[in-house]
Amino acid sequence: MSDRRIIITGMGALTAQGVGVPALARGLREGRVAIRAPLQPALAGLPAAAELDGFMLADALKSLPQAAGPLLEKARRLAQRAPRSIECATFSALEAWLDAGLHTAPVPAERVGLIVAGSNLSLRLQHDTAKKFAAGPEFIDPRYAMRFLDTDHVGVLSEVLGIRGEGFTVGGASASGNVALLKAWQLLQLGEVDACVVVGPLADLSPMELRALHHLGALSPGGGREADQVCRPFDAGRDGFVLGQGTACVVLEREDSALRRGAPMHAELAGASLVLSASHSAAPDVVGEAAAMRKALSRAGVAPEAVDYVNAHASASTAGDDAEVQALREVFGGHLGRVWLNATKGLLGHCLFSAGVVECIATVLQLRGGFLHRNANLREPLARDCRFCGDAATAQSIGVALSNSFGFGGINTSVVIRGS
Amino acid sequence: MSTDLFQVISENILKVLPDVDARLITPERQLKELGANSIDRMEIVMGTMEDLGINVPVTELSQAKDIGSLLGIFQRHFAQRS
Repeated sequence: MSDRRIIITGMGALTAQGVGVPALARGLREGRVAIRAPLQPALAGLPAAAELDGFMLADALKSLPQAAGPLLEKARRLAQRAPRSIECATFSALEAWLDAGLHTAPVPAERVGLIVAGSNLSLRLQHDTAKKFAAGPEFIDPRYAMRFLDTDHVGVLSEVLGIRGEGFTVGGASASGNVALLKAWQLLQLGEVDACVVVGPLADLSPMELRALHHLGALSPGGGREADQVCRPFDAGRDGFVLGQGTACVVLEREDSALRRGAPMHAELAGASLVLSASHSAAPDVVGEAAAMRKALSRAGVAPEAVDYVNAHASASTAGDDAEVQALREVFGGHLGRVWLNATKGLLGHCLFSAGVVECIATVLQLRGGFLHRNANLREPLARDCRFCGDAATAQSIGVALSNSFGFGGINTSVVIRGS
Repeated sequence: MSTDLFQVISENILKVLPDVDARLITPERQLKELGANSIDRMEIVMGTMEDLGINVPVTELSQAKDIGSLLGIFQRHFAQRS
């Protein structure tokens, strides 16, 4: 069990539900499926996707009226011409920063950390630059030397927000968001920083990666269904994940710092874990998944019987959802029938690197809002012993929640979120 | 033709440095004076060359002291382009 309470004091999100956390909260409450036939040329060929379309940083910044002039100016100057993933991450980070009140009640710059989730954050840029290079190497943008590095996110965001503590990127495939939450939680427990900004950036994949995921059988082929019915977590008819675009950011903070600043206490990140499967494969691993959930609970000092709700990884992968239910059986035993289960990916698609951070925020919004969002397209549940949320949001008071993320290469993660 | 090339350079300057007052872009000014760092300067030069479809050796570019002399180099290469 940990000694110090780590509090979520700020949240920012840019998802297919819209710009900002309020849009996400509304989408979850209404159970709106933000998955449609894709419009962006880069996603051509996909049967469905949850797209961020029409996002313009300059317009989005207007939705943050409390932002002080210099902060907005820096965001505009540094991010407006940056690759799309940095532009989007800047908005989410700024929203979370303002929400945490760090602009008016600051934490010393050297006591603030920054962790960016994911690796290979500029694949689309690399793909486009390769085309340009083939046409004429002499016109390659010199800034590409910085842009191809994942740490460009760290550089830009730290400059916008004035962060001078530790900062790095951390990769964990689809579990990257949770890995970043775990690393921030550990930094805060160690006392290396007082507050840590955790950013889940947009996975801006190129057509090459999308095609490989399709050939792997990971992406849903669509099955001739209407786009909003393609993503079917926990349903017998599920056939793969649907790409979701989104960025998210949470500010994690030591309780003493949060109290001193009078920061909002959205929830407590009570524990987190990462357990490997000793495997390079894309296959899910029941043993590793169960071990990750148990480890996160034990770090939080929470018994499985105290868990009210699990925000499942549930990407709608055929083997993955089955394995997760089996792992939940092993962790919760007879309590499984009393744990509510839902899958945010049914509404937002799979946001890949940012999924863990997006779903952490989705969990906090449900905890604070006293509701659980629906499971979209769950007609024929894959298991009878689970308590799946139904087809509409329900009023539900939740005390302790678990949020799972599992990634290719045997990366199993879980975080425990508790009302503060 | 020279005014067109100046226009192309100006557009690339404003693309890289959107906060610059367009009236400050004059031949006798240095890019540095407009707030361009070394990467900004390279980006402006590369973008302009791409728009013009020319390729100027770096050694030749390093001789340009201000926007006017840059314009001169670009004009020479633009006139000789195949």
